[in-house]
Amino acid sequence: MKKINYEFREKLNQVLGGFSHNYCYQCGACVADCPTHRFLPEFNPRTIILKVLYGFEEELIGPNSLIWNCTNCYNCYERCPQEVQPIEVIIALKNMSRERGTNPETINNIIDRVRQKGVTVATTDLIKRRRQEMKLPEHKISCLDELEKLFEAMNTK
Amino acid sequence: MQVMPFWGCMIPLKYPQMESAVRISLKNLGIELIDEPQFSCCPDPIYFKAGEKIKWYTLAARNISLAEERELDIITLCSGCTATLCEVNHHLKHNEKLRDEINKNLKTIGREYRGTINVRHLVTLLRDDIGLEKIAKSITNPLHDLKVAIHYGCHLLKPSEIMGVEDPINPVILARLIEVVGAIPVNHHEYLMCCGKACNEADLTLNMSHSVFDSVDKSDADCLGLICPTCFDSFDVGQLRVSRSFNKQYQIPVIYYFQLLAMAQGASVEEVGLHFHKIMTDDFIKKLQVQQAVA
Repeated sequence: MKKINYEFREKLNQVLGGFSHNYCYQCGACVADCPTHRFLPEFNPRTIILKVLYGFEEELIGPNSLIWNCTNCYNCYERCPQEVQPIEVIIALKNMSRERGTNPETINNIIDRVRQKGVTVATTDLIKRRRQEMKLPEHKISCLDELEKLFEAMNTK
Repeated sequence: MQVMPFWGCMIPLKYPQMESAVRISLKNLGIELIDEPQFSCCPDPIYFKAGEKIKWYTLAARNISLAEERELDIITLCSGCTATLCEVNHHLKHNEKLRDEINKNLKTIGREYRGTINVRHLVTLLRDDIGLEKIAKSITNPLHDLKVAIHYGCHLLKPSEIMGVEDPINPVILARLIEVVGAIPVNHHEYLMCCGKACNEADLTLNMSHSVFDSVDKSDADCLGLICPTCFDSFDVGQLRVSRSFNKQYQIPVIYYFQLLAMAQGASVEEVGLHFHKIMTDDFIKKLQVQQAVA
């Protein structure tokens, strides 16, 4: 039998955006307008919050968790009568997953790319030519020194 | 009027035709753009925020602080940048403890977030500051009879208490802006659907986009009009993937709103880069050019 895990909820309470799960009374208003639920019924924002209330850590932030299929549309945030902001709770869970290293690789790649290049999209010769063709100014990125200093400082805190 | 555009990553580096259209249409409205080369990625509100939230806040606050130094509001052109910068600006203005924490990070590069400017998507600048009447006066080649299926995307309107644009259940801002270029807005069945780009499983993205194509296909629209480069990605190159997966032959041209505006102000199909789109039909180009010739 699964055991209720209060410790997990205590940890989630400390993550920015995680605390509001405590307000959920399981009405399900978030479910009807969830586009992911429409096409993948096992993804259900109400049951995600229920698992949070029980503290089912492995299902939520273990490898291959369903939470990564949230489409970030904010419909649940709009619908919730209790201001649970289910999407923000899901994002807080994703933050915990990243701490554990169970997140999809895309997340690490995007963060590394921003640190190294300042942007998420590679600058290609094709696009440079298109920009010239359209008489657009040269695209400059002058933030890399500052970003490196910021990442250094934040990582050593 | 001077504004500071936040171009982001996808517009300048993947879809520069969108940048071209914005520059042309704003010049026609007498707006001067003050470019800031020190901006970084917003950073992205899906992956980066899900990975490292405090770094996400810090990098966004750094971007906002650059505009604060120039005392200019940030005007966003991408719904993703809008989501990140509006949300961070909102929370840092209202949460002193968080602001202090983020400012400690920014201090290491000699910057500070003060909370002195606003961030908003260009469509709200058009509606609220420039006004529909002034836009109408800039139109020389109205796109009469062009039927544009609307796609709002998620991050212009929601969360509504932060974005403050209008009711996300019954929005009208894009319909009004489409009318002002002389075209006919079409509120098809799935006009509020998500493009699905953020889902981890590719099937979900395909299913969500497919529901939008199916809905537009059943309407009598000539094209799909939107304001977000990520939705554009799902619907232009993504349309090929959806057609393959669902055994369909969708041919729905997808247009960034400011391409329509610039063309209605007299810009050519080439100047707004329609030839760079994966899905573009002769019928659609002909319809646009007929409009321009009549005008």
